[in-house]
Amino acid sequence: MSRIEAKKPSLCTSEPLTKEVVSYSLSVLSGILKSCYGPTGRLKQLHNGMGGYVRTTSQSSVLLGGLSITHPVLKVLTASVQNHISRFSDCGLFTAILCCSLVENFQKINFAACTVTKISRHLLSLCIDYLKSEACVCRIAVDFDSIKTLLSLVHSVLASKPACMLNKTETNHISTLVLKAFLLTIPHTVETNVVLGRCVIVPVKDKRVMDSTVFPGLLIEVPAFQLARTFPIKRISSSTIKMALFCISMSGDISNTGEGTVIVHHGISLEVAVLDQLLSLGKQLVNDQVGLVVCQKVIHPSLKVYLKEHHVITIDRIGVSMMEPLSQMTGSQPIASLHSLSPTYYGSLKDLRTESFGSKHFLHLIPSDTLVCSLILCNRNEMAWDELKVACQTAEHVLQLTIKQPLALLGGGCTETHLASYIRHKSFTLPTSALKAIDCSWTQYQLVADAFCHSLECVARCLEHDDCEILTDTVYGHFWSVQSEFPSDCNWSDLVLKCGCGIYSKQQNLNWRVLQSQCTPFTPQSCSNESFVNSTDHLVLDCFTAKCSGLQVAVETANLILDLSYIVEDQN
Amino acid sequence: PAALSDDKPLAQEAEALASAVRGALGPRGGQVLLTRPTGETLFTRDGRRVLEALSLAPPTARMMVACVSMHHSMTGDGAKTFIILLAKLLRGLQAVLDKREGSPFCEDIQRGERHQRSCHSLKQISQSIMTFQTLLLDHVMAQDLRKHFLSAFSNWEGEISRDTIESILEAYFCGRIGYSDQKLLSQLSSDFYYKCIPFKNDRNEMLNLVNEYFVELHFAVTGLPVSNSRILEGLILPRDFAVYCPAGGDIRILIVTESIHSALSAPGLEFVINAEAQYQASQIWITKRTEAIMKHLQNSNIKVLLSSVKQQEIVIYYAKINGISIVECLSSEEISLLCKITGISPFIPTWDNIHSEISETMIAKFCQPLVVGSKRFVHLGLTRTCTFQPHCVIFCGPVHGVTEQHASAFHGAFKMLQQLFKAVDLSDGCEVSDQQLKTCMAETEKQFIDSSWVGENPSCTQTVVQKSSNLAMPIENFERDFMFSALIHRGSSLRRVQKLPLKCKHPSEMWVKNTSETIVNNHGICNEAMTAKENTTTSVVSKEITAAKDFWKAGNPFNYEKSYKYTVQSYTNLVIQQGSVLPVGGNFEILLHYYLHSYAKQCQEPKITVVSTVIAEALLSIPKILYRTTNKNSFPQVYFKATSALRTNQQLPMSQQGLESVYCKYQLVVSVLHCLTKLLTIDLIIGIRRLPQKTEDNDSEDDL
Repeated sequence: MSRIEAKKPSLCTSEPLTKEVVSYSLSVLSGILKSCYGPTGRLKQLHNGMGGYVRTTSQSSVLLGGLSITHPVLKVLTASVQNHISRFSDCGLFTAILCCSLVENFQKINFAACTVTKISRHLLSLCIDYLKSEACVCRIAVDFDSIKTLLSLVHSVLASKPACMLNKTETNHISTLVLKAFLLTIPHTVETNVVLGRCVIVPVKDKRVMDSTVFPGLLIEVPAFQLARTFPIKRISSSTIKMALFCISMSGDISNTGEGTVIVHHGISLEVAVLDQLLSLGKQLVNDQVGLVVCQKVIHPSLKVYLKEHHVITIDRIGVSMMEPLSQMTGSQPIASLHSLSPTYYGSLKDLRTESFGSKHFLHLIPSDTLVCSLILCNRNEMAWDELKVACQTAEHVLQLTIKQPLALLGGGCTETHLASYIRHKSFTLPTSALKAIDCSWTQYQLVADAFCHSLECVARCLEHDDCEILTDTVYGHFWSVQSEFPSDCNWSDLVLKCGCGIYSKQQNLNWRVLQSQCTPFTPQSCSNESFVNSTDHLVLDCFTAKCSGLQVAVETANLILDLSYIVEDQN
Repeated sequence: PAALSDDKPLAQEAEALASAVRGALGPRGGQVLLTRPTGETLFTRDGRRVLEALSLAPPTARMMVACVSMHHSMTGDGAKTFIILLAKLLRGLQAVLDKREGSPFCEDIQRGERHQRSCHSLKQISQSIMTFQTLLLDHVMAQDLRKHFLSAFSNWEGEISRDTIESILEAYFCGRIGYSDQKLLSQLSSDFYYKCIPFKNDRNEMLNLVNEYFVELHFAVTGLPVSNSRILEGLILPRDFAVYCPAGGDIRILIVTESIHSALSAPGLEFVINAEAQYQASQIWITKRTEAIMKHLQNSNIKVLLSSVKQQEIVIYYAKINGISIVECLSSEEISLLCKITGISPFIPTWDNIHSEISETMIAKFCQPLVVGSKRFVHLGLTRTCTFQPHCVIFCGPVHGVTEQHASAFHGAFKMLQQLFKAVDLSDGCEVSDQQLKTCMAETEKQFIDSSWVGENPSCTQTVVQKSSNLAMPIENFERDFMFSALIHRGSSLRRVQKLPLKCKHPSEMWVKNTSETIVNNHGICNEAMTAKENTTTSVVSKEITAAKDFWKAGNPFNYEKSYKYTVQSYTNLVIQQGSVLPVGGNFEILLHYYLHSYAKQCQEPKITVVSTVIAEALLSIPKILYRTTNKNSFPQVYFKATSALRTNQQLPMSQQGLESVYCKYQLVVSVLHCLTKLLTIDLIIGIRRLPQKTEDNDSEDDL
């Protein structure tokens, strides 16, 4: 008899946001996230205290995945950030910190949730409209003719992950490799439906970062003894090797016999029958001058021996994940039949070589058309390698998003401070008709707008963890940081060098003020004088799509949390 | 014991339930966050979800929740109002019982145990509520409320304008989702309505289809801002192609529900292998057969196979060779939706039809992969073969809890629209009222006598019989009163009608004959009714009918300065016509409250008076909550304005733009009363150790 247990009644909390526990755990979470943000962010070590795997990280995806969060309000927050990361990979910490600050700042002004929601919706639409308009001066168009901006994008992603333990030259080296790998996956001929190729990351964990490299084509790891016994490969011509790709098992097992009964007379072996079939298949492959046979599953040893005798190389058990890049790269169709082989479904390779890295040995499949490449990624230790791998995947994703929407936002806190100045200005000059449409008073609007801008600036402020003062200028609204131990009589213009994103260097006509201090709203402008615009050095750039979406998700999530009036927790 | 008067658990339980949803009621209500045992979180403002999530132990509370769920799944709306109303009603009846002195439910028994006594009065109350619901509610609706109803239709043909649909939907979403997305979702849903249902003739059928297959017509993407939610033409199958071969032009699609590649043996068959060569040959034969089938499909110009089962790799291989795309693992609902839209049936490959013509195909404009977020889906654009124009909604949101809330609110909105186009017939309640009420009340009385005095001293019976004969008087009064109160607002005609009660019946009998005719003939019925009326009673009526016709010409329900003469629906045979709406903001409740009150004042049957008063008072709790926070319109102001308008026979002041379906509201009141009667008739709760056994007929097997 099944055990029936009475369900426990649920736990109800009304007005959850006024509860101490929520604001406390929210501030703890935001403290953790804030301290991780940016190139100088502090690292966090995740471990379970029972001798498990230790992970050192400063990335939101790893951090949020590792934290076990119990309070439902925080669960909503982290779930929405994690969903954002799964879509865009980048800007996870930005979204999380902004969302936390918005909740905290909106709670402080203590208006009815619907007023705050309406106004912050309006502010968000102001932001998004501005960012998407041509007039926006905190974004730049990505020029695909030069790799400079693309490289800046990748560089910014890698530089903001301090747990990768890369120094400057290493960061540059990896950035170049990631960009190179990405460019290899772009097809040469562009049809209506562009399908990007694949970049496969191959781990090599006992070599220096500078040994990392990119190969066009695929690297398939093989045991050393197999490599030692290689032989001159059968070629069609000097630059063509015919290959066959199988997606069914060639192990000689009996295939599905259906739901009825199969009666086998004594003395008849089905295994022999299947092996016969396999060998005749092998014969056909040899006749068709196939030089390489790749199988997703297992190949029968007898067939392997037979093929080897005829100088055909076999690779089996490559797994389903490699099938797509292989067929994409070689043009071969995965064959699912042991009986009829159509010669049109063979693919071709340009060359086949052997490579070894550290202790690992690879067969290098070189295609004639590069769409697939392998990035050999090396790092000193396991932990830093894991972090670097995630960072490279993020960078690759950012590049893919950028190719769809060729725009980038200025990074280094400049977009946030600039946007805050823009919103302050806009809300100050808001027409009364707009207020009427939102159904709120001017003061209400100002207070909410101020909290909104404050939260944006708060995100920018999190970029500096050392003892620094953060300034913003009153022309562009950019982000400048100075060492805080400066003499009191000193002029700020003596201390600043260039802004956070690196686009502006210091100018005579600029005035600075401390970020988040009171000031009169101004219209942030772009620079008309080219001489002040940095064009040689790397800029710090952020992914446009990811950041826009992160901004929207943060505001929406904050609104959701503020709107909560009741929590029902299932205790079962 | 569940008795109302003992420990007051019923009223308390209902109030506890109501307090959980009260915060979420109305346009200014907040969200409720639910967590599931799996750790998932869900946002909701849906009363049903909240109540079910409470997982309460008391059986009566569970019963209330079950009633709410039942009502909600039927109408897609009103769960919160349901429980609040129920709590108020229970509290009201409680007060009636506590008073005892002068209460009509306590006077006929003076003896017996306390528990028994309270059971008896509860039984009586529940009987009176039943009587009220079956006979009086329709009557009040028909005679008093009906003249206030607006029509959502812009003309006689039942066309509905976009503005109206949007204001109905917006009012609906105001109570169901967070503030920020209400506008977006109401626009999305009205777009969806007009895109899917381009012709009004098939409206009901199409709404049924949308509601039945809503799961297949929407899907959710998390991690994107809500503003990315949109409507796509065509259908989306939430999986990737097993094989994708791009094809242009009109694409022929075939549905299969079985594996194309056959196995060596089939269920119930034996396959005997005599020789190895035979085994090899049969394997080859099977492969060749699959190849032949796929070749035949290619020759028949089939470009896409939609399969409900996973096909063998070999099928996929031959599909690729023959340029056929395959989508696998379609759910049975998806298959049935596709079959319903296109009117085809699945293809079953047999040896016979391998070479025959394939007729059961559908044609698509496109069938291509669609990337949303980072996942690939199949996007299928069927060319129209029936009046339903397939479209699907993509809900985006930062977390799953939000997209799910939006999806369920969207679904609820279409259920609500379905209710909007329903009508309530003038049930037996009004036309044949006199006779019915009399018999019904008499039956009720008889039941009371039977049930409450079994096993008691027979000497008491005499007094009771006397009492019941005394009751004959009130019934008669009641009957008269019933008829005439209906006409109380007719001003001058009242007196003449009073004199001619028999003649007055005449037109109503005519209406009964016409009940079977459809709504489209309303006009005709109207005219008939008009002539009938003219013959019998007054000429005032004809004026009002012309006024009603004027209304239809004018169209928009918002323009009622000019066109709204509140007789729109007075002369049809329906209590609630298709598409009847009222402005939101507790208007329905205030109206019903007002008319029930005025009815109760004249009603001479004390039980009915008490019940009507309790119901009328309980109804007010809804607008009280709705106007709890607004500064401009506090509840007393709104209430005062409304009642003074009603007293002087003016229209109700309308503060908000939204509209709500009267049918939904009516259904809600009926459901609440049903639930209430059910609760009141329970006299004892018995705890048992085992699960209640289902009655099954397996005894006979044991005997054998």
